[in-house]
Amino acid sequence: MGEQKKRSLRIPGSTSILASLISIGVGLIVGLVLLYVLNAKAAGGAFISLITTGFRSSDKFAKVLYQAAPLIMTGLSVGFAFKTGLFNIGATGQYTIGAAFALIGAIQFQLPWYVCLLLALIGGAIWGIFPGLFKALFNVNEVITSIMFNWIAMFAVNLTINNLPMMLAKYWGGAQMDRTANLADANPGALIPRLGLDVLMKSNYMNISIFIAIAFALIAWIILSKTTFGYELKACGYNRNASVYAGINAKRNIVLSMVISGAFAGVGGGLYFLAGTGQYTLLKQLLTAGFNGIPVALLATSNPIGTIFSAFFVSYIQVGGDAMQPDFVKEIIDIIISVIIYLAAFALLTRELLTRGKQRRQDAALEAAAAPAPEAKDEVK
Amino acid sequence: MNILADILSATIVFMIPLLLVALGGMFSERSGVVNIALEGIMIIGALFSCLFLRYMDASGFGPAHPQWAMFFAILVAGLTGAIFSLLLAFASVNLKADQTIGGTALNMLAPAFAIVLTWAIQGQGQTTILIPTWARITQETLGIPVKDTFLQAFVFKSFYQTSIWAVFIFIIASIVLYKTRFGLRLRACGEHPQAADSVGVNVYRMRYSGVFISGLLGGIGGLAYTLAAGSAFQSTVAGYGFLALAVMIFGNWKPLNILGASLFFALFKILGSYSGSIPFLPKFDNIKASEYIYLMLPYIVTMIVLILTSKKSRAPKAEGIPYDKGRR
Amino acid sequence: MNEYVIEMLNITKEFPGIRANDDITLRLRRGEIHALLGENGAGKSTLMSVLFGLYQPEKGTIKKDGEIVHIKGPNEANALNIGMVHQHFKLVEVFTVLENIILGVEPNKFGFLEKKEARKKVVALSERYGLKIDPDALIENISVGMQQRVEILKMLYRDNDILIFDEPTAVLTPQEIDELMQIMRSFAAEGKSILFITHKLNEIMAVADRCTVLRKGKCIGTVDVKDTDKASLSRMMVGRDVEFEVTKGETKLGDTVLEVKNLTVPSKLHKNNAVKDVSFRVRAGEIVCLAGIEGNGQTECVYALTGLEKPSAGEVSLMGNPIVFVAPKREKQPASALKGAKTVLMPIRQRSKLGMSHIPEDRQKFGLVLDYSLEENLVLQRYWEPTFQKNGFIRKQDVRQYAEKLIKQYDIRSGQGPITSARSMSGGNQQKAIVAREMDKNPNLLVAVQPTRGLDVGAIEYIHKQLVAARDNGKAVFLVSLELDEVMNVSDRILVMYEGEIVGEFDPKKTTVEELGLYMAGAKKQAAERTVH
Repeated sequence: MGEQKKRSLRIPGSTSILASLISIGVGLIVGLVLLYVLNAKAAGGAFISLITTGFRSSDKFAKVLYQAAPLIMTGLSVGFAFKTGLFNIGATGQYTIGAAFALIGAIQFQLPWYVCLLLALIGGAIWGIFPGLFKALFNVNEVITSIMFNWIAMFAVNLTINNLPMMLAKYWGGAQMDRTANLADANPGALIPRLGLDVLMKSNYMNISIFIAIAFALIAWIILSKTTFGYELKACGYNRNASVYAGINAKRNIVLSMVISGAFAGVGGGLYFLAGTGQYTLLKQLLTAGFNGIPVALLATSNPIGTIFSAFFVSYIQVGGDAMQPDFVKEIIDIIISVIIYLAAFALLTRELLTRGKQRRQDAALEAAAAPAPEAKDEVK
Repeated sequence: MNILADILSATIVFMIPLLLVALGGMFSERSGVVNIALEGIMIIGALFSCLFLRYMDASGFGPAHPQWAMFFAILVAGLTGAIFSLLLAFASVNLKADQTIGGTALNMLAPAFAIVLTWAIQGQGQTTILIPTWARITQETLGIPVKDTFLQAFVFKSFYQTSIWAVFIFIIASIVLYKTRFGLRLRACGEHPQAADSVGVNVYRMRYSGVFISGLLGGIGGLAYTLAAGSAFQSTVAGYGFLALAVMIFGNWKPLNILGASLFFALFKILGSYSGSIPFLPKFDNIKASEYIYLMLPYIVTMIVLILTSKKSRAPKAEGIPYDKGRR
Repeated sequence: MNEYVIEMLNITKEFPGIRANDDITLRLRRGEIHALLGENGAGKSTLMSVLFGLYQPEKGTIKKDGEIVHIKGPNEANALNIGMVHQHFKLVEVFTVLENIILGVEPNKFGFLEKKEARKKVVALSERYGLKIDPDALIENISVGMQQRVEILKMLYRDNDILIFDEPTAVLTPQEIDELMQIMRSFAAEGKSILFITHKLNEIMAVADRCTVLRKGKCIGTVDVKDTDKASLSRMMVGRDVEFEVTKGETKLGDTVLEVKNLTVPSKLHKNNAVKDVSFRVRAGEIVCLAGIEGNGQTECVYALTGLEKPSAGEVSLMGNPIVFVAPKREKQPASALKGAKTVLMPIRQRSKLGMSHIPEDRQKFGLVLDYSLEENLVLQRYWEPTFQKNGFIRKQDVRQYAEKLIKQYDIRSGQGPITSARSMSGGNQQKAIVAREMDKNPNLLVAVQPTRGLDVGAIEYIHKQLVAARDNGKAVFLVSLELDEVMNVSDRILVMYEGEIVGEFDPKKTTVEELGLYMAGAKKQAAERTVH
């Protein structure tokens, strides 16, 4: 995808925080209206639930945190790619592969959790190579490659897990045939440590994953803002021509950027499935986790630190959404989120238009005059 | 014998939605707008047309005049898909937003909206919409006696009005794209909008039209998919919208090639599902759950074919780039 | 009073900061071929864009056949039978010739295309005017000359009889140019009126009836071509007193820093080469300027030197090191004679390390990452040096100090100092930043393309001082400029480029602006031996 297509993906400055907040605000209002339309009586209470549940009790707050962790990772994945001018719609596939690598390491090979997370990272990274590689080598549209690989990932994982009998719950005494074993039974050493947080917050599932995710966010931030590598990546994303002019190897950077992006998504998968909150179910549908990274990244304007907050927000309203049941379906949250994305794309456009308009006038002025004539000239000694 | 009829029939049945949606995508992209939201459009079209079918069922009009009801349902599918696609058109043409982001937003919105709406209408826990059985065209509908022939097995396994319309739509689409003034102008907007603008073509209007048509066809495709997939609408089209995009790219944005590509894909998908029953296909007995190999097949084959053909692939030159009149 | 088919009266068109057309009056007679002559930035394209409705003037009126008209866009222009062939063709590559011609005015029955009639009309027009085309050929497969004929047929098909040509011969071969002139004459003979923008004096003398000369947005005058000559036209086009002098001492010429041999670079716009077998050299301690009207190959030449484009043939060496070597195809020598025939295209970063600096022509496309801050842009060419990074981590303090030093030295103005976003800086200051960056590298060879574009007097003076200082310090400077003042004042040697070739070499002390103008406009050409130095 060309230079111009990428223009609206990168966002300057602090007015974008304002734009994000406006998007959120409008999204929530739309949600409120929707609630009223569906069930006016329960709407008010549900909305309050939505807004406040996350903070109501420590176990709910814990849920917000540990659900935010994989969101941070997929948000980082999508955001990192955005920053370098790419749209990583393959985050879901990378997430899936990451999860699979982590679980296989955990259950099949009985490895401890940190090794499993590392495997998740590697798995996601490997899966991230393909779109960029195929584009560079064969000129295949990277969006299609990513989408295809999302599906291939899912089926490949299902196939693999089915053929590693140890992986299935049944092997470990569980009843179901269609999901992986409960880690508590299969390999407690693979569970991400709780460090007593579960007791502290009275939540069964609270663990240190949120801190791991935050650590990765910090790493992403450091890479992007403090290293020469990050400098090169951003230059490629902002202005490919100028980066070529400066001697930067654009192609290599694109592939590397997708590898890192994939790695982040992979870790996301690892964090989720090594938490013990759920088992990997052999579905025929793509996990939505990867796609949820998109609104997270957009709201944070691809800033890694901002991603922490936007992931927190998305997780927060998701927990609130759960609490709105049974009066309302939790998919209402997805509606709110998609409205926010739609508006976020709009908001950054207004700013783009303003900047571009000014730019265009400047350009036209310059084109109309190759060099301005100095009106009066002095003798230069 | 019957297996073959089943397979061929299933292939056609699954080909139809791919064809329709890919043709829709083609119109959009040929006008210059990348339409990632096909998945969402399909869901919306399917949602409203299935709700309509249930309404027809409940009101008694359906069982009395099944094919008329079906016809109106198809219209509903097309129109709702088209209206939904206007959201993408607005974001892409007026706001000049990034077309992939806009599309992704709509893809998230559609299934969520579908679930919320069905739940609201049908009550808690009922997020599935059942399709009335009278919708299907059987021998009875046509008034011919039931016979155990290959032809009948092939045709009537899963025969819906949408299949008939798909044929017409394909023909009409090909004619419109290449033989009409509208088609010429549309294609110009996707290749070189400045050239089109300089001769007086309204690029914005053309792009709206392109997206609108993709919504129309996508919506009908969504209905066709739901009919093909079984007896109920379940707020998903399982990635078919994206598969249709691949078909469109594979078909090099040309109707005839798209026809071939959708046939190709549908074939592989069906082979996957029927892999157990087909005698000459490798069974992979030592591999458990080998059906996943076949399920992966369409996607892997797609990738291989894309790798082999992408050198010649030629997307509409100006697609994805918002048209800015001020920029000359 | 209908001697004049079009009158543009007192047209003033402004853009922010610049008056592109300043009170220009142009009258076009019926059936005449009227040339519009001027250097870059003179305002010719703007004026024609106003006529075609692409821009609206701030002041002035346009009359057609004596009546005032308001041309708000190409459609209105067309309705008034005004047509324009742009410099960059507006043709859909995957359509046929016929489809491109009828686009927008397609004959149809209930929306279905009726190509037969259109084809007949097009073929008839084509034969009548000698515009050879193949109606069913795809645009992407035909020659540029034929593409231009398609654009002309577009106008004729719509019954345009006021035809505007914007630099029509830029992309044509000499033979095609002759054909085009024939065609223009036949149009005029029929009573069609032609306006054509050009900077080529030969063509004006050959085909135009009258010529209006613009300079810096103002109309210098309109003359009858038969009453004038190239020298006068040239003087009108560029003639002005050299207004300030840069004090320059003599320097000792050192070794050859840049050597260019037989450089040939293909053009992206047309099938001719942009740079044709060019050879020259730049020594240490001299400023060599490549002068010429924009679009004659200077851009491609520079891109080939700096690594942004690949030449199809030629050798370039920097400080004795080969940085480009491409053996020309179709060698007549036997294989054994091709020694060392391996292609060399040194990567940009390495050229930079060898001591090449490049101030690019298009500062926003190549020179800056607009979304980066000023300081980030200032280290764009050096961020990888140990001064600015350690173990892959940027030394922010050092970058900041460096930026502040350059800001002060070159008086780069910005809203918030080093952290200002480059996008928000004015064009002039953006340019200063680039100049600062490239010159501070202390390069052995400085390639500067339009380095003072967009700058005020003081800044121009400073840059010129810096260029001269670099040269005094024994560096080599390869300057490409469209500003004749700059060319005359700053350079030690002038090479004039016209249509991809070096047509003349001059000593600024011994030549005049008018003479340069003649060469720049293709009216004259020095004998071959003299141009290779």
